[in-house]
Amino acid sequence: MERLPRHGQWWRLLVTVVAAGLLIAGSLWGEDDHFPFGPFKMYASAVDPDAPAEDTRVEGVDGTGAVVLITPENTGIRRAEFEGQLGRFREDPALLSTVADAYASRNPTAPPLQEVRIVVRWHEVRDFEVTGNWTDEVVATWRP
Amino acid sequence: MAAVIRWLTEPVPLGRLAAFRTLIYVYVILDMLAFTRWVRGHADIPGEFYRPLLVGRLLPLPTPGPELVHGVFWALLVLAAVAATGRLPRLTGAAVAILYFEWMIIAMSYGKVDHDKFGLLVALAVLPTVGRARHGDPTRSEAAGWALRATQLAVVATYFLAAWAKLRWGGLDWLTSATLTWAIIRRGTFLGEPLLHAPWLLIAAQFGIVIFELLSPLVFVLRGRWRYAAVGFFYSFHLVSFATISISFMPHQAAMTSFLPLERVRPVVWLRGWLGPRLPDWLGQRAGGRPARHPVAVAGDPAVDRPGERADRPEPQ
Repeated sequence: MERLPRHGQWWRLLVTVVAAGLLIAGSLWGEDDHFPFGPFKMYASAVDPDAPAEDTRVEGVDGTGAVVLITPENTGIRRAEFEGQLGRFREDPALLSTVADAYASRNPTAPPLQEVRIVVRWHEVRDFEVTGNWTDEVVATWRP
Repeated sequence: MAAVIRWLTEPVPLGRLAAFRTLIYVYVILDMLAFTRWVRGHADIPGEFYRPLLVGRLLPLPTPGPELVHGVFWALLVLAAVAATGRLPRLTGAAVAILYFEWMIIAMSYGKVDHDKFGLLVALAVLPTVGRARHGDPTRSEAAGWALRATQLAVVATYFLAAWAKLRWGGLDWLTSATLTWAIIRRGTFLGEPLLHAPWLLIAAQFGIVIFELLSPLVFVLRGRWRYAAVGFFYSFHLVSFATISISFMPHQAAMTSFLPLERVRPVVWLRGWLGPRLPDWLGQRAGGRPARHPVAVAGDPAVDRPGERADRPEPQ
């Protein structure tokens, strides 16, 4: 059996206690910003069974008028990243020009985007049941 | 205090550590090529999109661009492949830990932080502390024990603190909320969508999730078969989540193998055994290489029920 020397035991104990302390503090008072010691808040909010459920998408319109759905494949940006920065885009829609730039650098032969918009589809929910009704809300639009 | 240290460094066979190490570094490669392929996409995103996390502001790390993202990607692929073989474990392990951490900062500094990485990050941080460990080596080691225990603690903390986060943000209302309904509307699969018509089942599932997360630390008081049954239940939870709301939690699942007797999984030895008689002599010897170090039974050894069990037993004094 390979045993640890005394100092090897003590620094391992210390590292374990410090990391556990940081993690617990992150869960008690922290936010996502404190990664990797932030709280594990996936699906942690209580969703109202009568509140509409949002489904966000980002669309581009190219020079031919065709609507292009913005995906991680064609821009490198994930849906959740738009949702996480929604407030910024709402305040400053001009930032969406960066989406057109990212699209152009990934699809150099495709016609460039003339418009980029973030659309939230609100699915109506009544007493836990999706009614099938929805409304689209355009949150931010950019045109050159 | 001595009891705590003993528990934290409870020895495990070096063969288990070697298998876990290979599995984790192979997972890192798979993660970058398949599960989180999207991270490379951040190379093409203009800098305005970058919202550095606290650690990225403190260090301070550069705004990712194509050179940084592709550089970290290729360096990690090569180093993780070397680390998976067990060569230069401290050097390659430390390099992979640092580069993967930077990879995660590149991944999560664009408005979305994932919560399934903590176990993997801890595993990567502690693996380089062990040093050499051969596949199949039954020698028990306290250094290896601490590396696996630290990873197990990170895995269980992820569950337990996830329950705490639900109480912190959602409160007790979380239990009877429409959170799973909302999850299925947003990302439900064909298996998940029918559940929208059975909200009582989703509420029952929410109670079940919180109860299981709060009780998850009990896995440490369970022994033998019962502990494996609990870990099997954890895996089944992720299987159902993936089948219904397409959330895989893969890095966490990779780290959770720290609970398993991985030294019994010997694909290379099995392949040699299977191919052995079919190989020409010179190739068989070559492929066979050094024989696996199996312990030899001697008079006075405790009886064993199945292959590999000996490695779990304390050495006779």
